[in-house]
Amino acid sequence: MVTPQSLMLIGAVLFFLGVIGFLTRRNLIIMFLSTEVMFQGVLLNLVGMGLLHRNLEGQVFGLFVLVIAAVEAGLGLAIVVMLFRRKGTLDAEAWSALQG
Amino acid sequence: MTPTAITNIVYGLAALGAIAVYLAMPGAGPRRKTPAVLIGLAAVAWLLMLLARMSRGSAGDAVIFSILTLLSLVGSVRVVTHPRPVYSALYFVLVALASVGLIVMAGAEFLGAALVIVYAGAILVTYVFVIMLAQQSPAAQDAVSGGPLDYDGVAREPALATVAGFTLMAAVGSLIARPLPEVETAGDAAQAGDAIGNTVRLGAVLLTRYAVAVELAGVLLLVAIIGAIAMARRPVEPEPGWSPGSEEPPAGEIGRTVRPF
Repeated sequence: MVTPQSLMLIGAVLFFLGVIGFLTRRNLIIMFLSTEVMFQGVLLNLVGMGLLHRNLEGQVFGLFVLVIAAVEAGLGLAIVVMLFRRKGTLDAEAWSALQG
Repeated sequence: MTPTAITNIVYGLAALGAIAVYLAMPGAGPRRKTPAVLIGLAAVAWLLMLLARMSRGSAGDAVIFSILTLLSLVGSVRVVTHPRPVYSALYFVLVALASVGLIVMAGAEFLGAALVIVYAGAILVTYVFVIMLAQQSPAAQDAVSGGPLDYDGVAREPALATVAGFTLMAAVGSLIARPLPEVETAGDAAQAGDAIGNTVRLGAVLLTRYAVAVELAGVLLLVAIIGAIAMARRPVEPEPGWSPGSEEPPAGEIGRTVRPF
C-alpha cells in the first residue's frame, strides 16, 4: 500500500523540479509546462494528505486544483499566443522591458 | 532511523539530484549527458530505497510503485531540460500518467480518471496546438547547427536556480520524511476497503458539503472561457521589425517548409 509520506515526498520533488524549470527555461510554453509539473506535485501532496487523514477532503481539493489548472492553461496559453503574435518569438527575455 | 539521519540522507539526495539536473540543463553539450544520466539514476535509486523503507505492503505493490516513481521523476526532469517544446509536452504526458498511477494506487480512482481526461487529454492538446501556432519560421532556427533555437538551447542561470530549487526541496523533504505524528482520522470513514466505491463517496461529498464550491468552479470555468475568447479575438499589432509571414510563403503555397519537431 502507498504511504502518505512517500506520496508527499514524490510530490515535493515534482513541485521543486517544476520550480527549477520555471526559473531556468526561457521559452514561454515550457515555463507554463513547468507550472503544470508543479500542479502535479501539489495534487500528489493533496492525495497524500487525504490518505493520511483517511478522508476525502484531499481528493475534493484535488478536483478543484484540476479546475484551476484547466483555467490557468487556457488563459495562459491565450496570453502566450498574443505575445507571440506581437513579437514573433517565444523568448521570455524579449519582454524584459516589463522589468522596468 | 533517527530524524537527524533522515535529514542528512535527504540533503545528500538533493545534492546528487542538483548535480544531475544541472548537468542535464540544455546548453551543456553532449559530453555532459552521460554523467547526468548516471548521477540522476543513482539519486533516483537512493530515493527509491528511502521510499521502500517507508512503505509497507506486498512486494508487487512496491515494484509498481517504484516504476511509477521512476517514470514520473525522469519524465519531469526531461520536461524541464528538453530543448524542444514538443518533446517537453510529450514527457509531460508521461509525468501525468505516472502520477495518475500513484494516485490510483492511493485509492483515488475518480481523481485519477479526471486527471487523465483533463490533463493528458484536454490540457496537453491545447499545449500542442499552441506549440504549432507559435511555430518559428525556419529562418529563425539556429543558423550554425540547425538545432534548437538559442532561447530553447541555453538555460538561464542554471546553477543558481538548481541550487535554490534543490535546497528548498531538501528543506521540505526532510520535514516530510520524518516520522509522522498521529493525526485525527475522523472524517468520511475510511477511503478504501469497504463495499462502496471511491467515486460514489466522492460524489456524495462533492454534491452535499461542497455543492456551492462546485457551482463556483463552474462559474470560474465559464469566466475563463469568455476571457480566453475575448483575448484571442483581439487583433494584435506586430511590432515593427517583425511581420508575420514575411520570410516564407503562406500556408498551402509551394516552397513552404515546415520545421520538423
